[in-house]
Amino acid sequence: MTQVQEQDFQPVVGREKRLADARALVEAIENEDSSSEAQLIGELTAAYSGNIFDEVGRMTREVHDTLKSFAEDERLGALAEDEMPDARDRLRYVITLTEQAATRTLTVTEEATPTAEQIVERSQRLKGELAKVAASEADNARLGGVVESMTRYLDSTTRCGERLKGQFTEIMMAQEFQDLSGQLLMRVIDLLEQLEEKLVGLLQITAPVRSAKAEDGKSAPAERSEDGVGPQLPGAGDNVVKNQDDVDDLLASLGF
Amino acid sequence: MDRNMKILVVDDFSTMRRIIKNLLKELGFTNLEEADDGQTALPLLRQGNFDFLVTDWNMPGMTGIDLLRAVRADPNLASLPVLMVTAEAKREQIVLAAQEGVNGYIVKPFNGATLKEKIEKIFERVES
Repeated sequence: MTQVQEQDFQPVVGREKRLADARALVEAIENEDSSSEAQLIGELTAAYSGNIFDEVGRMTREVHDTLKSFAEDERLGALAEDEMPDARDRLRYVITLTEQAATRTLTVTEEATPTAEQIVERSQRLKGELAKVAASEADNARLGGVVESMTRYLDSTTRCGERLKGQFTEIMMAQEFQDLSGQLLMRVIDLLEQLEEKLVGLLQITAPVRSAKAEDGKSAPAERSEDGVGPQLPGAGDNVVKNQDDVDDLLASLGF
Repeated sequence: MDRNMKILVVDDFSTMRRIIKNLLKELGFTNLEEADDGQTALPLLRQGNFDFLVTDWNMPGMTGIDLLRAVRADPNLASLPVLMVTAEAKREQIVLAAQEGVNGYIVKPFNGATLKEKIEKIFERVES
């Protein structure tokens, strides 16, 4: 809708007449002629108000035309009835896909972790057995040398196994993204749902003949911390803690 | 701290339940059960002799904060230690959780070391 410009407020009465009225008004005020003063103020305002009524009339027509074109716009109907639900389905599918990927990764790390543990445990056990053999054959220098290099190898294998365990844990923790991204997507899906409802409502008002699906008309709930509002985006403001240290500081200030 | 204690992990995302359970297993806890929101968690808690509750906040059905309130309001569960592991990061939410009687609060994303530290702190307090 076009904004009302200041130049639209041109008075409907000519400049000469307005100047004459204004001079007469000054004169009336000077002469303390209150009845002329009131009449002249009325005339001067009338010079403008005619235009205001025109403007209101024009705006009303514009609103009417806009609503009419809104109702006739097939695109909006398609948007509300097909495309927005479709967008929601796509987002839900993204959640499903990330969940599948995360689940797959978790399954592999869950299987791989015991393998790494076995490597550690078996290397340590073998190292112990070799030490016993070396001790019972202490006079065999060649055997002693072999046991020593094998022990070094088994120690490095143990370290590798430990490192693998830590890396599998890291991979597992990285799957946390699925929860966080899923929560964010669910909020966008909610928003789409609300928009869709509003759009359908508006289309129903402007074109009652149009078939509408969403008729339950439940109002959009405001965001309530009580219900949980989901992960915060980076730079969400002072009201949001940035990391676990912030959480701990806040709780400490509450006596935790 | 008793490594055999019975722990209930509540989160609506199966991925997160699995991650928390794996972390707890790494810390030596093996007696673990799970639920996907407050509504399914509460009956389990009421009949299950749980020693510890780890819960998310934002869940359909019954939220974690309502679950916490229900636990504190139930004479048999009132003293159950509760740790929140959640993406909810507003100061007012953390304050609210503290007021409702939470024993620890971890904001996602988090890591195993944080989980270990908070659990140890909770049971240090509970046992002292």
